[in-house]
Amino acid sequence: MTDTGAGAVLVVGEVGADGAARPVSFEVLTAGRRVANALGGPLVALVMGVGVGEAARSLGAAGADRLLVADDARLAGLTTEAASAVLAHTIREVAPAVVLVPGTTAGRDYAPRVAARLGVGVAADCVDVAIEEGELVAVRPILGGRVQTAVRMPGSRPQMATIRPASFEAAEATGAGPEPEPIAVDLAPNDLRVTVRETTAKEAGPTNLEDAWAVVGGGRGLKEPDNFKLVEELAEVLDAAVGATRAVVDAGWRPHHEQIGQTGRTVAPRLYVAVGVSGAIQHNVGMQGSDYIVAINRDPDAPIFKIASFGIVGDLFEIVPALTAELRAARS
Amino acid sequence: MAGGQTGRPLTIVVLVKQVPDMNAVKIDRATGKPVLGGQSIVSSYDAYAIEEALRLKERHGGEVVAVAAGPPTVKDALTRALALGADRAIQIDVPGINDLDTLAVAGLLADQVRALAPDLVLVGQTSDDYETGQIGPQLAELLDLPLVSSVMGVAVEGERLTLRRDVEDGQQTVETNLPALLLAITGLNDPRLPSLKGIMAAKRKPLERVAPQSAPAGGRTVWGEPYVPERGVTGTILQDVSAAEAAKQLVAWLREQKLI
Ligand SMILES: Cc1cc2nc3c(=O)[nH]c(=O)nc-3n(C[C@H](O)[C@H](O)[C@H](O)COP(=O)(O)OP(=O)(O)OC[C@H]3O[C@@H](n4cnc5c(N)ncnc54)[C@H](O)[C@@H]3O)c2cc1C
Ligand SMILES: Nc1ncnc2c1ncn2[C@@H]1O[C@H](COP(=O)(O)O)[C@@H](O)[C@H]1O
Repeated sequence: MTDTGAGAVLVVGEVGADGAARPVSFEVLTAGRRVANALGGPLVALVMGVGVGEAARSLGAAGADRLLVADDARLAGLTTEAASAVLAHTIREVAPAVVLVPGTTAGRDYAPRVAARLGVGVAADCVDVAIEEGELVAVRPILGGRVQTAVRMPGSRPQMATIRPASFEAAEATGAGPEPEPIAVDLAPNDLRVTVRETTAKEAGPTNLEDAWAVVGGGRGLKEPDNFKLVEELAEVLDAAVGATRAVVDAGWRPHHEQIGQTGRTVAPRLYVAVGVSGAIQHNVGMQGSDYIVAINRDPDAPIFKIASFGIVGDLFEIVPALTAELRAARS
Repeated sequence: MAGGQTGRPLTIVVLVKQVPDMNAVKIDRATGKPVLGGQSIVSSYDAYAIEEALRLKERHGGEVVAVAAGPPTVKDALTRALALGADRAIQIDVPGINDLDTLAVAGLLADQVRALAPDLVLVGQTSDDYETGQIGPQLAELLDLPLVSSVMGVAVEGERLTLRRDVEDGQQTVETNLPALLLAITGLNDPRLPSLKGIMAAKRKPLERVAPQSAPAGGRTVWGEPYVPERGVTGTILQDVSAAEAAKQLVAWLREQKLI
């Protein structure tokens, strides 16, 4: 394989169990395109998995200059060690200046593992990337999402980052895209120590969160589990599903399958109503794709208001019953 | 997950990171910088890792060793692990740990963990404060161990390890052999609280303080000063209106957007 030269940007595309490229893969392409343009180098996409041909083409068509495909039964489930071996090999071949990886469960495992193998820097779960003076600047939230920090990796070649889902617009198809080039999958026994026995799709759960047109999410502002009936009543008049923050799931107020956010479910309904939810980044990543976000919180500085399309600053114990009554009246 | 009763005693290392309580983070309005007040606590996912280590030991026998790198104050986090039931603890003395990159910290931890020759290393999925989630994967690389993240269930039978995970595509069951490194996440178990007896016993358990075995080589990543991100485009925010009036305006707005 020919060296693509200094300034190449390598992005990794991941494919879901349904055989389609994960949405975040297209978002990483957008980030990669920006970086590649700033560096004046080509954008190279790597897609790993088994039976990923079609998904890989869809990613290539969304703006990659080259498309490398590692299609191999041993890459089913993208176990960390196997994915790390392929990515490390590809990095040696392509010699990119920057490598961007989806901030998925798998990506957040193999990206740092590869960085350790190569002895280079990696920034985790970034929401923005730029090139300044030829170097990658990767922005990531810290301290519960209240603040951000810009990470630089001056001595590293390549400079690596994982990209948090829903941080960039998805890249769209621009044409047929490049012809896929197969890439060698050279795995040692040690790369195959973990085997995936089975994967069962998430049980929908009684509330069927992902399919609901609207979701009412309740947080610790509700003070105690019984007060969740305020959320349930509001959800009922709206014909919405009920969701919860991790704070209330951890406290045992609500079941884990209702948790929305980084370590729970991701929902993107038409309407999301956040009740007594502070809007920590780990919660917001699970619902910020909603078309309209309504927030009810008594703290005017609560981060949830930064993403709200309609916010009410006030006591939820007064506002929610009034809202439920008003909606009921509007219905009848 | 139902655990097998077979097999030999396990040597389990659990990593414990001490972090400031994120619920107590305040933003200084004048400087826009975060102020970390409040108590230091055990990073939240580490609580699940400690609990799982204790349950595995209760089932299979063996030893649980808690390891933390950081300034002398991380002793408190280790003492908590001991009070919960860990057998002994090792504090790697690294005063300026926040200035090191993750690979350097993983390297310091690897030196100690390797010497313990564990069957299992349990690590939190990500830490509460800097949330890189990189220490676990990088430690696995340095120790040449298989890594399984987002673990929601653990069963050991002989040398065989069966793990239940929560991933984007759903619930996954994976298998590997001991030794392995696992990342613990919410839902893995329901962590216990320390008992009074445990707190007393912790005082007599060995807590070793060691110097790093090698000078940490850091500097691969340089973090800028933290700042508050700019407020994005916001919609209507109602303040100082009565509940009834707010409800009316919201319903009118929902109608305008054709949501009701
Ligand atoms: C690694 C990691 C992963 C995480 N994953 C998730 C995740 O998947 N999902 C998730 O949700 N969180 C997650 N979290 C936790 C997250 O950081 C927050 O701690 C959590 O979302 C806060 O929940 P909350 O909004 O219910 O509680 P709080 O932050 O305590 O907020 C309660 C809010 O209620 C308001 N309030 C109080 N009383 C009233 C009242 N009477 N009327 C109106 N408003 C009121 C307060 O002003 C406050 O804003 C994660 C954290 C970490 C570190
Ligand atoms: N200084 C440390 N000492 C012990 N364990 C640590 C340390 N830093 C991180 N860890 C472990 O690695 C996990 C992930 O941390 P991080 O990579 O910083 O997000 C934590 O939950 C801990 O289990």
